[in-house]
Amino acid sequence: MIDVDGVTCRYGDVVAVDDVTLTVPDGEFLVVAGANGSGKTTLVRTFNGLVTPDEGTVRANGTPVADDLVAARTAVGMVFQDPRDQLVSATVGADVAFGPENLGLTRREIDRRVDHALDAVNMAGREDDRIAALSGGERERIAVAGALAMEPDHLVLDEPFAGLDEPARRSVIDRLRGLHRAGTSVVVVTHDLRDVLALADRVLGLANGRIAVDAPPSAAVDRLPALDVRVPGRFEADGDSGAPADGDAEATADDSAAGSAAGRKRDR
Amino acid sequence: MSTRTESVDLVGDEAAVNLARAALFAALVGAFAYVSFPNPVSPVSVTLQVLGVFLAGIYLGPLWGPIALVLYVAAGALGAPVFEGASAGVGVLVGQSAGYLWSYPLAAGVVGAVVHRSTTLRDPASAGLATLVGAMVLGTVVIYAAGVAGLVVVLSLGPVEAVTVGAVAFLPAEGLKIAAAVGIVRSDAIAAA
Amino acid sequence: MTLSYVPGDSLAHRLDSRSKLLVQVGFAAAAYAYTTPRGLALLTLVAGGCLWAAGGGARDLWGYRFALPVLLVAPIVAGATLGDPWFRVGRAGDTALASYRVAVVLVVAAAYVRSTPVRDSRAAIRRVVPGRAGVFLGVGVALVFRFLPLVRHDLLAARTAIGARGGGERPVRERIRLVATAGLSRAFARADRLGIALSARCFAWNPTLPRLAFGRADAPALALGSGLLAAAAAAIV
Repeated sequence: MIDVDGVTCRYGDVVAVDDVTLTVPDGEFLVVAGANGSGKTTLVRTFNGLVTPDEGTVRANGTPVADDLVAARTAVGMVFQDPRDQLVSATVGADVAFGPENLGLTRREIDRRVDHALDAVNMAGREDDRIAALSGGERERIAVAGALAMEPDHLVLDEPFAGLDEPARRSVIDRLRGLHRAGTSVVVVTHDLRDVLALADRVLGLANGRIAVDAPPSAAVDRLPALDVRVPGRFEADGDSGAPADGDAEATADDSAAGSAAGRKRDR
Repeated sequence: MSTRTESVDLVGDEAAVNLARAALFAALVGAFAYVSFPNPVSPVSVTLQVLGVFLAGIYLGPLWGPIALVLYVAAGALGAPVFEGASAGVGVLVGQSAGYLWSYPLAAGVVGAVVHRSTTLRDPASAGLATLVGAMVLGTVVIYAAGVAGLVVVLSLGPVEAVTVGAVAFLPAEGLKIAAAVGIVRSDAIAAA
Repeated sequence: MTLSYVPGDSLAHRLDSRSKLLVQVGFAAAAYAYTTPRGLALLTLVAGGCLWAAGGGARDLWGYRFALPVLLVAPIVAGATLGDPWFRVGRAGDTALASYRVAVVLVVAAAYVRSTPVRDSRAAIRRVVPGRAGVFLGVGVALVFRFLPLVRHDLLAARTAIGARGGGERPVRERIRLVATAGLSRAFARADRLGIALSARCFAWNPTLPRLAFGRADAPALALGSGLLAAAAAAIV
């Protein structure tokens, strides 16, 4: 369980998060929605102490995050936008093992967790694949596996669909559904609800660092467009639906490596 | 699952970012080996590794700049294709370019020390033209002195012969890199430091 | 083509990375201690053996072609003199041997690069370099391997984009500035995201030691490495 109590975060004169109070119960699929600059990324980064609030406290499973960062970071796994910059090893297995190694676990336990995490993202048996040869969707799933290998209670994903093409998005959503069914709490941060609304138990809409909407999806859907959040069935005709062109280029940046063709095919 | 969390000795968020920057800078110096430009005053084309050494000192300072170059040398020795001509291997560290490579961490430290005057970094754009150019000229002296000394030892050359082989054709291009580095610092395009 | 790790199961692939590093250090020391025609002839056999044991061949040496001009020119420069006798064969011979010495050391290095994945190199660092320095160096080296293709792509894309916008007519200094600025700002952006990701994954000073164990095949490799080192030491003392 994550408890956020009266949290305010500032960057200089800018108030990114403004006196937010919030509880995320175990097992919940929560969507945090908001336009760019609404404070959603800053808010979730207080969950595991990557951002320290200027005011207020955050507790993970009852313990203040600031008192035990390791406990907070194992309780709340986090996956960031653009998996290419968060994968740290040349091969899949070594990358997923990075977190468990930092916890000082035995080799046996690390192997078990790596197997388990890869299985959960549909990448079982791919330990020796080179990261550079993976497709965008596969890389995203390896980033998720890296977080899962810490065996977190909550899995937080920041804009997990940015830069992914349609089949890759579906493969990621599919895995999130599976993880949630298996009991993991999932928090998805996004400015585009089309992909995740059907999975959500609850939707949080942020505007100017404050909670503007906190409701089940059916009730939230009418109020979110006012916050510049894209919802299903609306704005589909917009010229900019789908990922920005720049994001697409990003996602394929290191696919020039030999073997990428095979990697991409597997993903589709 | 929160068993034994007290036994985990976290690196610290600031040091983690510093290591990430050092590693990315090492990769940048290595990637510079792949980008060559025609040299207006010499038949030998210009690659930009030395520019990377200057920039490491300027942007990462006298502590993390050398660490970045140590990572560069270590990664190259262990097989990352980051050395001249995209080569790699321990052998390169005792080969003809040994002197140059071993001097990179030191040169980055010298440039960083002159620009920042302490391990607390300041905005390099505030350092003044003379300081920037002076720092990089000093860095160039360190690199070429070590490079030429390396040739004397490795290839049994006399000092004049070593300068002929290892400096005359390359030295003029360093002026270009110093000018480019000054342009980068003064263009305000880099706001990360 | 670039010299790099090639997956395989040759003898060298099965060796512990520490044994292979010892052989390299021993070989380099021996090559410097015995820079004589006889010594280098013997070491050439050893070097060829190493590359063969790694499943490599002449192709792998192509990656070192950049070294050739200097190695070939050096003996000529060393031999040439202004005035009588214009060319000193003895001096040129000394430098030619030194050049050849560099070449054979590179052959052994190629065998290591070809047969050792980053994971094993990182494991060797963790075991050989003590404490925090070893952790930092191990993770740092792994990150360089991981990010090199990305940063290289950033730079080449910047150069192409600048060329497409008529940058070819600008002076070289200006083009260098533009390409380096693009590469640098992308590198900083990546580093800041990576740093946060490392923290989120509990980047620690005391992680589990990597798996690395000497096998039976390591005995002869360790013997070769220490034998070469001992021979080098004997020549100096």
